[in-house]
Amino acid sequence: MASFDITDPLSFLKAEIMETLRLVIDPELHINIIDLGLVYGIAIDADNRAVLVTMTLSSAYCPMGESIISAVKNCIEGHYTGYTAEVVLVWQPVWSYDSISEEGKRLLGL
Amino acid sequence: MTAIKQNPGLYRIVVTHYAVSACCFLALTLLMLLSVKAFTGHYFHPQILAITHLAALGWGTLIIMGASYQLIPVVLETDLYSEKLAWLSFGLFLPGMVGLVWSFWTFIPGIHMQCSALLLLTSSILFTVNVYLTGCKKQQETIQEDFIFSACLCLCFTVALGAALVFNFTMQIFSQDSLHFLKLHAHLGLIGWFLLMLIGVSSKLIPMFLVSRYQGTRLLTWSYYLIISALLYFLIDAYLFGLSYRTYIMFLIGGAGLACYFVFLYKCLRSRLRKQIDLPMLNSFLSFILLKIAVLLVPFIIYFHLKHNPATIRFSMVYGELMFMGWITSLILGQTFKTLPFIVWVKHYEHLTGKFKTPLPSDLFADYLLKAQTIAFLIFCVTFMPGCYFMWLPLIYTGVTALMTTALLYICNVCIVIFHQTRTYGQL
Repeated sequence: MASFDITDPLSFLKAEIMETLRLVIDPELHINIIDLGLVYGIAIDADNRAVLVTMTLSSAYCPMGESIISAVKNCIEGHYTGYTAEVVLVWQPVWSYDSISEEGKRLLGL
Repeated sequence: MTAIKQNPGLYRIVVTHYAVSACCFLALTLLMLLSVKAFTGHYFHPQILAITHLAALGWGTLIIMGASYQLIPVVLETDLYSEKLAWLSFGLFLPGMVGLVWSFWTFIPGIHMQCSALLLLTSSILFTVNVYLTGCKKQQETIQEDFIFSACLCLCFTVALGAALVFNFTMQIFSQDSLHFLKLHAHLGLIGWFLLMLIGVSSKLIPMFLVSRYQGTRLLTWSYYLIISALLYFLIDAYLFGLSYRTYIMFLIGGAGLACYFVFLYKCLRSRLRKQIDLPMLNSFLSFILLKIAVLLVPFIIYFHLKHNPATIRFSMVYGELMFMGWITSLILGQTFKTLPFIVWVKHYEHLTGKFKTPLPSDLFADYLLKAQTIAFLIFCVTFMPGCYFMWLPLIYTGVTALMTTALLYICNVCIVIFHQTRTYGQL
């Protein structure tokens, strides 16, 4: 799960983007990718108006992987006019069920 | 590293397999309706042979091949080796399957039946080569690969033995009668092809669909080696000596392998994060119950066979029906609505997600049709199997009618998914 430094002047925007990404839903689980713990970090290049999302997938060959990645890009570019988004997939730390937030677990009926 | 990509070529081949196998399912129920009386006789009857081969090839194998082109890259975590090879395999399989079923139905064991068998054999070899070369593209070896590769090899051996049996009708290939080899052919297909393939793929997909915490593979490894040992032991022993008291030992070894798989499923179910189980998954669990019932009939078949009791024919018939029309059919009826909506959804919505509110994969099929289909199939199970055992025609007719209803509802729902039109509900 991403964390934010409040001394960073862009931390508010990062947190806002993080909230916006709650609109991206995993098509199988019907739960947003933030509560699934798939997003590891957000970096913003204010000069070039570019957002870099570092995230993972539940497995390297997740059948829905491409859809989730394009949804993240579409979501950011749709909500933040003038910004471009890029997604970098990382596999460390490996995603596990422990990455799911309390809200995610509640939505799963746990 | 990126996630797996869907492409139009792969989409076309997968959906074509699903559509053709749905048509075969409907054709299968029509043939069953036309040959209800044959179900009260011996299983080595031309119409029963035609129906069994349409069920095994047109319904079971064709849809498994189609789903494999989509799912094996997911399970093996690499791209499919060749779409052209997949089309070639399909192009040979279809005329081969139609020719074989027609030749059995009319029972003309001549050149048409032989050519059909050879077409099917070539198609199976091409499918196996495609799967093998797909697996060769990566280094990591998993137990799922062992299941899948072994299943493909068993498919080739099953079809090769079937082709030899077809040639044996007109030229003396085997010294013993065909029924002796029919047991080996049937079990190579049922255990070697269907069971190994379905365990291999489902052991990856079921934890994924249930969002299960359980990640262990030890039970699957035990399951693989026990089932393979039992199958090889059975094939050699039954070929040399026929059924004997040793067959019970093979049954126990194979049964232990299957039990390991069921324990694996149970552990996945117990540790699932997603508490609500949807209807397609319930259909899949029904299929495992039907498989258990079928397996529990085996000791009776061995017992009556060794006693030369004609009851063995009835038990064998019900066993075959539970395997083909119970276990395999129920699994396909459920898993179609887990896999096909995803495949279609990716094509329609991958580029729109994040921009617009879109339907989810589970919104692409008609839930009420799936509910009706499940009820119709349950009616089929509780009427047809007992009807065949007691040789009571009204029950068999009721069962076949219920299965035909199941097929119609299934084909309607498959069409709803395949012909889905893209729609959105406003911007996000």
